[in-house]
Amino acid sequence: MKTLVIYVHPVENSFNSAVRDAVISGLTSAQHEIRLRDLYAENFNPFLSAAERGLHHTPPSTRPELARDVEDLRWCEAIVFVYPTWWAGLPAMLKGWIDRTWMNEVAWVLPAGANTIRPRLTNITRLVAVTTHGSSKLVNALQGEPGKRIISRSIRVMCNRWCRARWISLYGLDKSTPEKRKHHLDTVGRRVVHALR
Amino acid sequence: MNVVIVLGHPSANSYCTAIFEAIIRALEDGRQHNVSAIRLADENFVTAMSRDERVSYETAQPLICAETQRHAQLVKQADALVFVYPTWWSGLPAQLKGWLERVFVLDVAFRFNEKNKIRPALQNIRHIIGVSTYGSPWRYVKLVNDNGRRTLTRAIRASTGLRTRTMWRGIYALDTCSAADREKFIADTTRKIVKRLSKDAQR
Repeated sequence: MKTLVIYVHPVENSFNSAVRDAVISGLTSAQHEIRLRDLYAENFNPFLSAAERGLHHTPPSTRPELARDVEDLRWCEAIVFVYPTWWAGLPAMLKGWIDRTWMNEVAWVLPAGANTIRPRLTNITRLVAVTTHGSSKLVNALQGEPGKRIISRSIRVMCNRWCRARWISLYGLDKSTPEKRKHHLDTVGRRVVHALR
Repeated sequence: MNVVIVLGHPSANSYCTAIFEAIIRALEDGRQHNVSAIRLADENFVTAMSRDERVSYETAQPLICAETQRHAQLVKQADALVFVYPTWWSGLPAQLKGWLERVFVLDVAFRFNEKNKIRPALQNIRHIIGVSTYGSPWRYVKLVNDNGRRTLTRAIRASTGLRTRTMWRGIYALDTCSAADREKFIADTTRKIVKRLSKDAQR
């Protein structure tokens, strides 16, 4: 499967970087075709400016600086997001990537007179979120898991009608034991491969 | 009452900005409130938490930039937080999400007690008010979940005091709203916010 891996963490030797490596090695051994994007390392600008907001209803050719992202989105059949959950949701870097690149004619179109957008990323049939939470599962459930629902609902409806979203997360990282972390790293590659089946 | 009001829309001529300016004008009118307006895009506020910030996040001195120090000071003295932003992909715009990540840190939003458990530190906040514009109709917003609202009224709310009240105002299916609808929304929203905050200020 053509798999786009979006990795977001600012610190090079973070736990999330180990998760990313485990995911990549799992995908490689299952012979998936991979493109890895490291938004922090690329210095991606997550700010959607007023000028760019003005281009909201224009075709992607008006934003040549995002041509690579558009190409990746149209190429892939699966997206695997690897990121830390901060304030119950996606880090601003990742939210900004979605804000800027899931654009008109790439992710959606708005037919004249309609007030809901129609999907365009019908090439994508799998979305996988691989994330870590500092707080416990209970705390996240009480907060309503906003990050989870951006991926499993809000952006999924712009993908293929049969697109599946899978959630692979490690809760309570702040209090986790080394064994629990090791177990996560040992199994996460296999779980991602399973999610892509 | 000290009110901190944050704008999450980048364009100065947007409807969101019009709501924002109308709320500020209404709050300043009564002279009961001390309003601090934060226009993130105008201030060129950096969206993403940097590597150095993430490293210092784990230390006792997490605020390493002048802009986040200044905003943290305002938040610590605030009685009410008002957020005005457009809902994009059912959540907060990245810049506003980044503001929470970079400013709401140790000793601002939370602290550790003697047992090393996380405790809220925003007990000074008595009101969280969110005003958002939605491109989608109300039913669609409920179906995909209003994730920006959940972030502010649940995740941030959990760091404030027990008695903190929340208030939400949304205008839905904005693309098909008439000019009269928009005017009415601004009038209703400013009236309700002023009423809520003024009542509390008199006590």
